[in-house]
Amino acid sequence: MSELDLTFVDEAVSRIGKSGQHVIALLQAIQEHYRYLPEPALRRLCQISDITPAAVAGVSTFYTQFRHKPVGQHMIRVCHGTACHIKGAQAISDAIKTALKIPDGDDTDPDKLFTLEKIACLGCCTLAPVVQIDEVIYGHLTGETVPRMLRDFLESRSAPAKRRARRAVSMTDGELPEVRIGLGSCCQARGSGRVFQAVEQALADNDIQAVVKRVGCVGMCHQTPLVEVVVPGKPSALYAQVKPEDAPDIALRHLQPRTWPARAYHAANRLLESLLTDDAWTPPDRYALDTREQVVTDFLGRQRHIASEHCGVLDPLDLDEYQRRDGLAGLTKAVNTMTPGQIIQEIEHSGLRGRGGAGFTTGRKWQAVADAPGDDKYIVCNCDEGDPGAFMDRMLMESYPFRVLEGMLIAAHAVGARRGYLYIRAEYPLAVQRVREALGKLRAKGLLAGEAGTPGLLDLRIMEGAGAFVCGEETALLASIEGKRGMPRFRPPFPAQSGLWGKPTLVNNVETYALVPWILRNGAEAFAAMGTAGSKGTKVFALAGKIVRGGLIEVPMGVTLHQVVHEIGGGVPNGKKLKAVQVGGPSGGCVPAELAHIAVDYDALTSVGAIMGSGGLVVLDEDDCMVDIARYFLSFTQDQSCGKCTFCRVGTRAMLDILDRLCAGQGREGDIEQLEDLAQKVKKGSLCGLGGTAPNPVISTLRYFRHEYEAHLQGRCPAGRCKALIRYRITDDCIGCTKCAQQCPTGAIAMKPHEVHEINQEMCVRCGGCRNICPVNSVVVE
Amino acid sequence: MPRLTIDNQEVEVPAGATVLDAARQLGIDIPTLCHMPGMPPATSCMVCVVKVNDKPRLAPSCALKAEDGMRIQSQCDEVLEARRVALELLLAEHVGDCMGPCQLICPAGMNIPLMIRQIRAGGLEDASVTVKRHIALPAVLGRVCHAPCEKGCRRAQADAAVSICLLKRFVADTDLAREQPYLPVRQATTGKKVAIVGAGPTGASAAWHLLQEGHAVTIIDEQGRPGGMLHKIDAGQLAPDVIRAEMDLIVRLGAEFRLGCRVGADVTLDELCRDYDAVLLAVGEASPSAGDLAQKAGLAPQQGKPAVRLAVDRRTFRTSLAGVFAAGGATRAGKHAVLAVADGQAAACAIGQFLAGADVTGPVKPFNVSLGKLLEGEITAFMSSADPAARTQTQPHQPLSPAQARDESARCLHCDCRKADSCRLRQFSGQYGAKPARYRNRQVAFCQRTDHPRLVYESGKCIACGICIRIVEQAGQSPGLCFTGRGFGVTVSIPFNGTIEEAVGGLADQLVSACPTAAWAYRD
Repeated sequence: MSELDLTFVDEAVSRIGKSGQHVIALLQAIQEHYRYLPEPALRRLCQISDITPAAVAGVSTFYTQFRHKPVGQHMIRVCHGTACHIKGAQAISDAIKTALKIPDGDDTDPDKLFTLEKIACLGCCTLAPVVQIDEVIYGHLTGETVPRMLRDFLESRSAPAKRRARRAVSMTDGELPEVRIGLGSCCQARGSGRVFQAVEQALADNDIQAVVKRVGCVGMCHQTPLVEVVVPGKPSALYAQVKPEDAPDIALRHLQPRTWPARAYHAANRLLESLLTDDAWTPPDRYALDTREQVVTDFLGRQRHIASEHCGVLDPLDLDEYQRRDGLAGLTKAVNTMTPGQIIQEIEHSGLRGRGGAGFTTGRKWQAVADAPGDDKYIVCNCDEGDPGAFMDRMLMESYPFRVLEGMLIAAHAVGARRGYLYIRAEYPLAVQRVREALGKLRAKGLLAGEAGTPGLLDLRIMEGAGAFVCGEETALLASIEGKRGMPRFRPPFPAQSGLWGKPTLVNNVETYALVPWILRNGAEAFAAMGTAGSKGTKVFALAGKIVRGGLIEVPMGVTLHQVVHEIGGGVPNGKKLKAVQVGGPSGGCVPAELAHIAVDYDALTSVGAIMGSGGLVVLDEDDCMVDIARYFLSFTQDQSCGKCTFCRVGTRAMLDILDRLCAGQGREGDIEQLEDLAQKVKKGSLCGLGGTAPNPVISTLRYFRHEYEAHLQGRCPAGRCKALIRYRITDDCIGCTKCAQQCPTGAIAMKPHEVHEINQEMCVRCGGCRNICPVNSVVVE
Repeated sequence: MPRLTIDNQEVEVPAGATVLDAARQLGIDIPTLCHMPGMPPATSCMVCVVKVNDKPRLAPSCALKAEDGMRIQSQCDEVLEARRVALELLLAEHVGDCMGPCQLICPAGMNIPLMIRQIRAGGLEDASVTVKRHIALPAVLGRVCHAPCEKGCRRAQADAAVSICLLKRFVADTDLAREQPYLPVRQATTGKKVAIVGAGPTGASAAWHLLQEGHAVTIIDEQGRPGGMLHKIDAGQLAPDVIRAEMDLIVRLGAEFRLGCRVGADVTLDELCRDYDAVLLAVGEASPSAGDLAQKAGLAPQQGKPAVRLAVDRRTFRTSLAGVFAAGGATRAGKHAVLAVADGQAAACAIGQFLAGADVTGPVKPFNVSLGKLLEGEITAFMSSADPAARTQTQPHQPLSPAQARDESARCLHCDCRKADSCRLRQFSGQYGAKPARYRNRQVAFCQRTDHPRLVYESGKCIACGICIRIVEQAGQSPGLCFTGRGFGVTVSIPFNGTIEEAVGGLADQLVSACPTAAWAYRD
């Protein structure tokens, strides 16, 4: 083995720090440099820092981000979040394995080009199924498009980077028209970055004076990339699903070239083009964002934007614009005109409850931290949104980083915290980048203390997570900030009494902080006027799954699930029937269609066996098997269990064993009863919230869909989903087009042109590819 | 000073005390596995859970600080059931046997692996004690036993079973050759008298155990010499001298023999019942005595069986007459001497219970986890600490030489648990009626590490309580131990693939005594 150059380790230690607290950041740096964690580098790390070998071994094997063996040149991460799961993530994984000829039991292709990895959730649920290759996200994949995706990725690597168009924009921006383009992670995954460039290019080519502006998430993820053209004094126009080649036409339809020659040139050009080409430009779907269009009205009509105020308008990182639109007004009011006690009282009166899942009254939590003895207090923002099927916090951080930070500044002032952290999960690179930039701007403004020790109201730092769902549990999160394995501990004491390094610590979730500035600005009453008796204000939901208009929505508490699914979301696509709505992810439950009239409200959701959770809403239709859904969530929590307490470590595993048996058609007499009993024990006996809520998906599906469990026990999967319990057959309707045979990844269908095809059941892996591709629906599931 | 109630009893404890402390102050027994006094709570095993103020979630009492006005339930059904499930879940992933398959299959339950370790270590007197704890006539059985233990021996899956029967014979013969062969200590006399009818292996075995308990025993047999059916065995295989030598030891332990005395003629069952506190009928198979006795005493014969067989409760050995027990060939089919010896031992236990006025249940089966069928490649892990030599070959009916015995003893895989008697997981599992098979779905393979001169580490027995990690950490040992992995895959590991010796340094004794299971144990 060639000698490894270890100078980087020394550099990293001197740059990041040498105490135990920095172990995660150091391991991240080492991995980024060497692309994995070579043992000599780890030994060197122990030599030159205060970090023990036990800490390195323990931490580096706890978090999924860390790899102990070399990987291929590119990382392919297949998202296995809820939405991706029900839309066939496994088939995508299989197709990639086949396409790259990755041997069984391995994760890297023989040429060491790609390493395949399963990831809990990329938070791009509306694009499901989703794959991330290095930093590029591909959405809406199918087994057939996988080879194209790989080709596209490799081609884009080899193509030289396009030169960006340069243009001068006069500095009186306020008067200029704006072209707003959503640049959240999902939008970027759908190509909005290229649209952004194309629009800039079009404006430069035509000498048009306008501001091209990146804006945060509009929430209409089903329509991205979205381009909105706002001309002063005219109604704005919103274009959906825009392609880069649409950019010149959109620009010229609304915007005037600055100079006559350019205008004339353009007119001639346009004429020429339409003469030369037969097909005149078919514009993308076009809507106005001001809700005069029906589809926009439906999507936006019931929404109320508070955490996501000014959505589609604000440039995420433009602090001046943020301030022009009332940003920092809440903070100014809090700091200049209110005592900490008054702020806490205001929050308490607003009825705000924690948006992270449990719904604890925020004002009471703040009071507890404020009351805790000692001057050394911390504030922490829990940005470790790990629930598969949830991406609200990612959107808030990407689109409104200043709002989140303003909320933290207000909270810190109220509870008396001087230092704090944002714990952001590693899977959200854009969120990390935007929050980091926003922190920099607030530091420059003197609101936040600088890293070099310049004064400010608060010393805030980012801590990047390393891939552990359990770190969303507050005590585990604090352990992780301290540089330990993310193991929860028994509460009490709560972090409010004894948190980070034993000091009183306020831990709230991203959305909770994002609501605070609005409450301060508009008053507790205005907030409490929205919602129900026990749940005030609004809630942001990530709407995904079998839904026409998936996306991010912010609705007042009290709207019904029915309204969310059918009005905002446009119902279930392809004429299928709604079966259930999965609310709250792996800690939540499935609300059956017949209970869809219940309101979005902490207590109402709990009463039907779900939880508000952090806000994932995954819509399930008649093709979804509820036993499979339960098994999916349990395999997630089982995989994410920290392994500390018996009930979670072994109990979830024992439950999963039973569910695996049921889905494999090997259920035994008494399995359902044992599963039910064990679910109750795990719920009662687990140490933390992860284990305590892990059985919920099982309990709720048993409650409403017990007949499906019983059918599995008898060897049937009514939804036709569990592979071991179904078989595909080609009927006599087959026209012999051979598409299925070409599609089949295992060669289970022999190619017989113009004849009725047959499936070799021994070779069939039940991926469903043949059924999806058959033009005459002659492939049936039995 | 918080005042709280636990199971409706009030208690006041110092500030900072846990609910577990408070319960112990009240003398309430709450089981703990991961708790280590003087260290912060690990809250891992969750067998110490209690119910707090009727809340739905249970709380670990080791971590829960006692508060004023708290209401704790520590013995309600919900709590007891949760503890049982916690134990069953720990057992679901337990890779190991409490008792080796040989011991489990031995009708008399002899601790074979222990005997073999004692032979290996040259402690033949200790080995005699081990053997004679269960087997009254080991020299006899060493010659005639059909050795079901060897059919269960795991070593057979690698090559051939350990020669257990001959090793036992070696121990017994060595003992008999001593001037003072081993005699167990007798408990203080109880004043109770037992008559045993039949001086065959069943009666002799029962006498051996009853005498040790402090009861007086009289053995009555119509033959002129003790041994019963053993005398029917070919003398080339079992010389009469051997029978006599072992019977003499029973006399020396205090048994009174009344030979040539026929029950029914020379003495009646009624008389025995009158003169003794209990009677054991161990008259052997097809003995005319059995039929006679059954008729004369009005004992019921077994349904549909020849009248020579007596009807008894198979667990308690009780007949239909109060105080009259029956065991051995007179009560069931099966001629094997070891079954007779085992019956005698079990009947002695039942009679002992009867004499003590306790519930007569017969012997209680000790709690046991079994590895079951081995996974692929697992036998190799077992072989790693054993001598790979082939089984010692001997001529029929010939003993092992001392050298051969030592060599053969090195072949044992030591499948049994080294801490079977001190393992707290086993203790509580028995106490809470845990069923090890309930959630079992074994996928983790047996693994043992012996890279330490005195210790053996079996990861499959670890319950991830972290006590060893904390001991090593507190002592500042480097590289020390740590948890690696997460969830179900969490294991105690040594950083950078160090050896156990490097990892634990001088803390071996502390580790073995603090480990609640046998994950950390002494090798011998």
